[in-house]
Amino acid sequence: MNKLLGIGVAATMMMAVGGTANAFECKVTEASMDKPGGFPERALTMVVPYGPAGGSGQVAAAMAEGVTGLTGVAINRDHKPGGSGTVGMTAYMTSPADGYNVLEHIDDASSAHALDSSRPNPAVDLIPLVVSQVTFSQIYIRTNETRYDDWNSFVAWVKAQGGKATIANVSKEGSMERVTMKFITDATGMEIQQISFDKGAPRYGALLGGQVDALFEQPGDVRKFLDADNFKPILTIFDERPSVFADVPTHREMGMDFDPLLRFRGFYVHKDAPADRVKWLQWAFQRGYCQDSYQAFNDSKFMNVIDSYRDTAGARELIARSIDQYRDVYKSMGMDVK
Amino acid sequence: MVENFLAGTSALFGDPFTVAIFVFGVVGGMLFGAIPGVSMLTLAAILLPFTADLEPAQGVMLFAVIYCTGTYGGAITAILFNIPGAPENAPTAFDGYPMTRKGQSGKAVGAAVLCSAIGGVASALVMMAATEPLANWAIRNIGPPEIFALVFFGLAVASSVGGRTIWKGWMSVLLGLLIATIGQDPVGGINRYNFGFTDLAAGIAFVPAILGFFAVSEIFVQAEKKATGQFDAPKVGMSFPTVLELWMHKFAVLRSILVGFFCGILPGIGATLAAFMGYGEAVRWSKNKEEFGKGKLEGVISSETANNAATGAAMIPLLALGLPGGALTAMMVAVFQMHDLEPGPLVFYNSPDLIWIVFAAMFYANLSILFIGLIETKTILYLLKIPFQFLAPLILLLATIGAYISRGLVLDVMVMFGAGILGFLLRRTGYSIPGIVLGLILGKIGEQNFAQGMQMVHYDLGTYFSRPICSILIVAGALTLAAGIYRAFSPASNSA
Repeated sequence: MNKLLGIGVAATMMMAVGGTANAFECKVTEASMDKPGGFPERALTMVVPYGPAGGSGQVAAAMAEGVTGLTGVAINRDHKPGGSGTVGMTAYMTSPADGYNVLEHIDDASSAHALDSSRPNPAVDLIPLVVSQVTFSQIYIRTNETRYDDWNSFVAWVKAQGGKATIANVSKEGSMERVTMKFITDATGMEIQQISFDKGAPRYGALLGGQVDALFEQPGDVRKFLDADNFKPILTIFDERPSVFADVPTHREMGMDFDPLLRFRGFYVHKDAPADRVKWLQWAFQRGYCQDSYQAFNDSKFMNVIDSYRDTAGARELIARSIDQYRDVYKSMGMDVK
Repeated sequence: MVENFLAGTSALFGDPFTVAIFVFGVVGGMLFGAIPGVSMLTLAAILLPFTADLEPAQGVMLFAVIYCTGTYGGAITAILFNIPGAPENAPTAFDGYPMTRKGQSGKAVGAAVLCSAIGGVASALVMMAATEPLANWAIRNIGPPEIFALVFFGLAVASSVGGRTIWKGWMSVLLGLLIATIGQDPVGGINRYNFGFTDLAAGIAFVPAILGFFAVSEIFVQAEKKATGQFDAPKVGMSFPTVLELWMHKFAVLRSILVGFFCGILPGIGATLAAFMGYGEAVRWSKNKEEFGKGKLEGVISSETANNAATGAAMIPLLALGLPGGALTAMMVAVFQMHDLEPGPLVFYNSPDLIWIVFAAMFYANLSILFIGLIETKTILYLLKIPFQFLAPLILLLATIGAYISRGLVLDVMVMFGAGILGFLLRRTGYSIPGIVLGLILGKIGEQNFAQGMQMVHYDLGTYFSRPICSILIVAGALTLAAGIYRAFSPASNSA
């Protein structure tokens, strides 16, 4: 019965997501663009600061496929994982600024700059080509959970545990997850132990197996568990209810008055790269976002539930706002903001 | 089950193109697994975009086959040249390479071929019989505290391997544990011992460290012998293990299947821990512990049985729950997703045909290890006839490429040569290279799970003992350590 219910929920979600995808309109109207001075004459290199199997690796592969399909220019992905993205960022900053090297990165680059201004500011030290995934976070519990079944009963149960309740996330120092959890615990007055899992599988397994009581995650990363009716969201950390999660209350509805931090992934090029090449890359990546293959990928990851697209100006605004938010929070947390 | 297996077999071998993909996966996995640095992951990453053009079952099956044969492939270079193709083959080198030095390369390779096949086939059979219940049991009963306890137990058991004295064995493990702490701490993300170098924030990667400690240090050792006129070229031993020899190790094989399967079923752990734990258990149960690390057949058997036993097991959390056990199974998730599928409970409901083709392919891929392995072994052993002055630069070149290629960092090449020099010096003084590698690999896994476990038990160590599996493993590890200390103070140890 549960399985059938899960399939029903999944079908409803797919229809809703499909509706979003059907309504998609590409904001880049030029279907083609002349190569400036023949650029690019050879394959581009995309530095990816994370492994090939994770969220960044997958979005890099999907965007590379989209851009190559559009332009015929091959893109070699160079994965340099480690140090929460700092290894890849450092390698990229020392690569030639000739337009042949592009970077994939996530909002960690913004939070790293907020904490330490000597780290590159993605909106200033780089030129965002496109932000192609923007998503929100949710709190999940097991669908067969009997101790609580919605946000209010969860908060009540957590408070009754006297700090013994647990939630799985990626709670590294200054991470989006830890900052958001601080917002939540401050607003609700509940005390909950955060268990940091840097890989997805053990994190999701911890909730499935009852090792933890809840999970902080983005919906695209746990879609298969939602489709299979293993997890259910009890709180959406976003200003409004996305249509796909119309039954799930937002943090504001639950009395938490803070601006949600978003998870975003995008593509960048050196700020010193030749202007005509940057212009071509902006067109290629922004139009690559519109390719059917990329849109199908974003659909499969719940990444079209809210508007995932930011052009260069929009990306700069998103990054600048995030940096300001992180910096304010870090100061209020007493962290050493440099 | 038998009916489904036969249907999967029929679908696998009923289509010539599917057969071609299967053969490609078997051969490709073995080749890429055998070349240091260029692992089965490299092949999988290259092939990933092309799987979009395959049928879903063909794409997933290809990766499953590569996983089976790639795990075995690294054993060959580990045994012949002291170059483990991947971290999960490192324990194979502990005894495999000393066997080669003693002229028993054929015996070691033959045992690796046979035991990889046995471990893989056994694992595939259990996978077919009980995927869903086993996956559910594992995630409910095994959390970070249990994984930490398992690592602690493994370290306690195998810590004395390869050292001239027990103390030197332990010192080697502690050095490995110390090296494992370089880089960001696994929970808080705080940099440690990176001395301002950004690249060191990512820590010391396993592959360059293993290449340095094993391959480069070995070349330095042999070069010194060559320079001082003491060089003794390894003899090509074509004799395979006899049936009697293999029968004498039946309990080691069974034990390693159980250990490997148990480790493989844990999400995010996989074959590396399985190989080390399989080896460690062999040491623990042996009456001649001091023979390990010096060319004992049981060491090769235990390691290779365990790492291949982990392959089928790692498919269990992937297929039943959508939880990949390692990097290659994580890539398999991408293959599923390219075809609008998600691994997890619904796969059994929506795509039973795909599941049974994959199960059948893994079974036959493990059998293929036996046949192709035995054929190639006869040829590959002749590589040992290449003179040292040609072989050594070739190995150094391959190792350098292997160290660089995985992350594209010059740091990794420096780490490899640094580890080579350190290994060369430590070996001269009787410290244990396997011990350092053991500490490095298990240290990273152990620290992460210890920190997560401490958060889960609210920093109350006593709570660890309220979890039955965890407390059993910790007590067993502590008893093993105590026995080791007792032996260390005995006159026999101190006189070594």
